[in-house]
Amino acid sequence: MIKKADVLLFFIILIFGACISWWSLSENQPGQRVVITVEGETYGTYSLNQDQQIVIEKHGHQNHITIKDGQVSMSFSDCKNQVCVNSGAISETKDTIVCLPNKVLIEIQSKQGGEPDVITG
Amino acid sequence: MSSRDNTPRGLTTRRLALAAMLAALALIFSYVESLFPLPVPAPGIKLGVANLVIVMAIYKLGFSYAFTINCVRMVVSGLLFSGVFGILYSFAGGVFSILVMYLLYKTGWFSMVGVSMAGGVAHNLGQLVAASLIVENVAMMSYFSILLFSGLFSGIAIGFLATLIYKRLPEISI
Repeated sequence: MIKKADVLLFFIILIFGACISWWSLSENQPGQRVVITVEGETYGTYSLNQDQQIVIEKHGHQNHITIKDGQVSMSFSDCKNQVCVNSGAISETKDTIVCLPNKVLIEIQSKQGGEPDVITG
Repeated sequence: MSSRDNTPRGLTTRRLALAAMLAALALIFSYVESLFPLPVPAPGIKLGVANLVIVMAIYKLGFSYAFTINCVRMVVSGLLFSGVFGILYSFAGGVFSILVMYLLYKTGWFSMVGVSMAGGVAHNLGQLVAASLIVENVAMMSYFSILLFSGLFSGIAIGFLATLIYKRLPEISI
């Protein structure tokens, strides 16, 4: 029933997946900044350490983003599937929350790569 | 259809009726699956039971029928349950998946399990690429490893199920 090519393909995909997992987990670290992107354009950058709520209104769509205790979550979205609201809170780099219908993307970034913050740091 | 010229009239009607029934079945599978989401926090992880019908259609009816059945399923389930936006999104996964499955089927090297397995992975990859294009950002590609494994194992499960069902299907001339 199962052929050699099936098993070969299975292991190729498995190894490929393991490589991607290893790559994406190895650089995961607690983040510092929350970057919000709406329709491919950066909407704003916020500190992960400062509790606040951000309301995004664009084209009649609403998304509420909550930053609390070093974690960020989509607390409200008027989209239909609610995948973004159900994805919970994130706090580490490479974690993302996406609301596809409203084209809102939340990313976590570490301090590196941004503007150096020597004075206040 | 290209096969119309050498297929007797009665058989074409039969194929058409069977294709319509399979489309309805795939639609019901999609619907029932959406009623019972898997208890995982990550979006996009599902068994893909509708793929059972699509795999069967590729083997029994050929590519053009399977492709049409899949398109009908996606359009109707999109209109009924997930909205026009959902249609675009499911097309990205559905079309890429069926192309990959048909190509692997054509080579003759793979069993139904292998074909379905590749289809599951291709489906999730297609949707993720579409999602990345929609938000114009590749950040969520890191999410791919989760979707890859989920597609891999659900594809295998569906493949085994399809093999069992295929053996028990009555031999009808279609």
